[in-house]
Amino acid sequence: MNTIQKKIWMLASVVLLIMLSIWLAFTYYNQKTQNQYNDILQRYLIMNEVTSASQQVITDLNNYLLNPSLANFEQINMSQEEIRYAKHEVYNLINVENEFALTNYINLIDSFIETTNRSLKFQSEEEVEASTKEFSEATRISKYISEMTLTVIDTELKTYDRFYREIIEQSDEFKKLGIWLLLLIIVFLLLLTYWFSLTITRPVQQLTKAANELSKGRFDRPIKVESNDEISFLAKTFDQMRININNLISEIQQKAQLEHELQQNKLLLQESQLRSLQSQINPHFLFNTLNTLSKKAYLEGAEETSDLLVSVAGLLRYNLKRLDRSVTIHEEVVVLQQYMEIQKARFTDRLDFHLYIDESCLHIEIPGLTLQPIIENAVIHAIEPKEDGGSIWFRVLDEIDSVTIEIEDDGVGMSKDKVTQILEERLVEAEGHSTGIGFSNVVKRLRLFYGFEDIIQIDSTEGHGTKVVLKIPKTRRIDNNEEAPNRR
Amino acid sequence: MRKIGIIILCFIFTTLIYFTYISAEKVFYSDFQPPQTSALKEGQYRLVLITQELETPFWDKVAKGAIEQAQQEGASLEVWGSYGNNQEDFLKKIELAIHSKMDGIIVQGLDTEEFSSLTKFKAASSGIPIITVANDVPIEESLRRTYVGSDQILAGKMIAKELIADMGSLGKVIILGESEQEYHQQQRLQGIQDILKDYPNVETLYAETSDTKEQVITTTQDLLNQLPDVDAFIAVNANNAGAMIQEIGRRSRVEPFYIYTFDDGTESFSLLTQGKLDGMLEQSPEKMGELSVNLIMKWLTDETVPLNMDGYLTDIRIVKAIDM
Repeated sequence: MNTIQKKIWMLASVVLLIMLSIWLAFTYYNQKTQNQYNDILQRYLIMNEVTSASQQVITDLNNYLLNPSLANFEQINMSQEEIRYAKHEVYNLINVENEFALTNYINLIDSFIETTNRSLKFQSEEEVEASTKEFSEATRISKYISEMTLTVIDTELKTYDRFYREIIEQSDEFKKLGIWLLLLIIVFLLLLTYWFSLTITRPVQQLTKAANELSKGRFDRPIKVESNDEISFLAKTFDQMRININNLISEIQQKAQLEHELQQNKLLLQESQLRSLQSQINPHFLFNTLNTLSKKAYLEGAEETSDLLVSVAGLLRYNLKRLDRSVTIHEEVVVLQQYMEIQKARFTDRLDFHLYIDESCLHIEIPGLTLQPIIENAVIHAIEPKEDGGSIWFRVLDEIDSVTIEIEDDGVGMSKDKVTQILEERLVEAEGHSTGIGFSNVVKRLRLFYGFEDIIQIDSTEGHGTKVVLKIPKTRRIDNNEEAPNRR
Repeated sequence: MRKIGIIILCFIFTTLIYFTYISAEKVFYSDFQPPQTSALKEGQYRLVLITQELETPFWDKVAKGAIEQAQQEGASLEVWGSYGNNQEDFLKKIELAIHSKMDGIIVQGLDTEEFSSLTKFKAASSGIPIITVANDVPIEESLRRTYVGSDQILAGKMIAKELIADMGSLGKVIILGESEQEYHQQQRLQGIQDILKDYPNVETLYAETSDTKEQVITTTQDLLNQLPDVDAFIAVNANNAGAMIQEIGRRSRVEPFYIYTFDDGTESFSLLTQGKLDGMLEQSPEKMGELSVNLIMKWLTDETVPLNMDGYLTDIRIVKAIDM
């Protein structure tokens, strides 16, 4: 990853590199020119040295010839040494073009030295005339040396003429190069800085814009930052956060939607079930007929039959009337007693019905026709199959915040499978129920009415009887459920 | 807007790169190659050709031949000299060549005492071989190794024979010589006179002049006055021919006169092509240059020792104006 720090380092090093390379180039150029100048000067200096050294030799020789002292002799030795050294230097100046001239030049110097030596030798041999002749020869050669120096320098000038002009042109051009280079670097740095600042500020701007969007609550726009530094990392994590938030929000929305639909479904189901249940109930016609029969029986003196018919009619009326709304436990108990009277008339001594009611609980509301089907079930399964009959207990007990209704029999009991079938509302209803309402129907209605599953509990052992316990809360838990039936 | 700015900036940047590159190239690139340094080539012989008459057609040819030959032989040769018969300068050059310890000196002979002393004492004592070219000097005076050039006596004879052939054996001839007569001029004169003495009907008038133009003109005037019915002229020193003909031309037409000279004058060729000269003795300057270098190399490499003291003669022939 390219960090911002790295970028800054890069910018700095590019600038440094440029400076360094310019410095190097300039130093190189300077050094080169300096060397060139030095070389040129060196050449001329060496040649000049030859001339002056030869003249020095002549002067010293003259002095010695006039006054042959040791000091003068040493002096001449020294100046001879000098010219030898100068000659040696001239060797370095030889090149292809001046080879011939310089060879002559060197030889001329040699001749000069030889002549002076001869002069000295004649002087030591006291041959004054010969010595003087050699001296004048030496003087002439020295003159030749001077002349030749000029000629050689002239040749040098010709040879190097183009070179000198080039140097002058180059140093002129060098000034121009400086200006061009300055302009170039200015523009280059401008571009570089612009690009560099852009790579840092653009992602920040993009990020700022993205943050603005987020703060306005738009979670759906992806955050894109074209960069490869920390900002991009930040943007990536930021985008991840945005995606997460977006997912969470949509999840919540989905859940709410789902829940709403579920609720709606439930309400519709309850309504339809109630309607279907109502449609099963016997028509008024039967009720009226039963009343007529009761009156007829009473008129014919069969009072017991008349009472039974009244009970049956009461039961029927209750069926027609009460199913669509909740009733109190009291009303339900009354219907229960009417039903039991009918059953007692059927089973006489075989049916033993025990009733225990806590009076304080009678005002509690429950769905209509819930207790009677359970009792009926108990009668069908506990009393009918047994020849010597059985007992049924019905208790209404007050708990603190609920009412417990127990229906117990000592009949054959139920298998565990059956119990679960009832509780899971899967039981296929057997024929023979007076109201057409089976156990499962009751369970269903109770659960719908109260909105929770364990409203009913069944304890049963095969051969020992069954105990059905209803736990009715004193206050309804889901109030809006009551609205559903009333909405019609 | 910003994009345009950047594009403009980039454009400027590219332009600047171009100009900076051009400028940098000029500053750092130099196509000047300094002459290669070289150590002294020990084995190479250094020769010098010294003449009094630099940059005359004749001596240019000698120099050309010499240089070509030197290149072939692997020797280095330079042509030194003086302009316009400047003797002092010429002698100085010879002295310089001796002091410069040349391996060999090819020199135009000069029949003077200074020349003799230079060649006799200095060159000989330094062991530098000297070959005279084109113009010879007597061997006993110069201690030259040999001479390369024309047989000047024969040249004189050929000119004289040509004169007789053209003019016939009757007539008056003016021979213009040099007051400071050089050896080769003496030889020429001798050659001319050798022939002419056999023709008693040919009257010759020998006159000397110094080589300045004015002097030549005056002398010519004198001679014309002395011998108004002259038939022919021979200029022994070819350099005097121009001035002489000019003076003759002032008096009368040049064509009727038979005028002869040699090819080593500056104007000889142009005079011949103009038809003012009737005949010219042509030597072989290139051959001289070639042969002189060849011989001195032979001497230096001990191939031919000693050289033929009498000299090596090169071809001569007469060129007539009619041939041009």
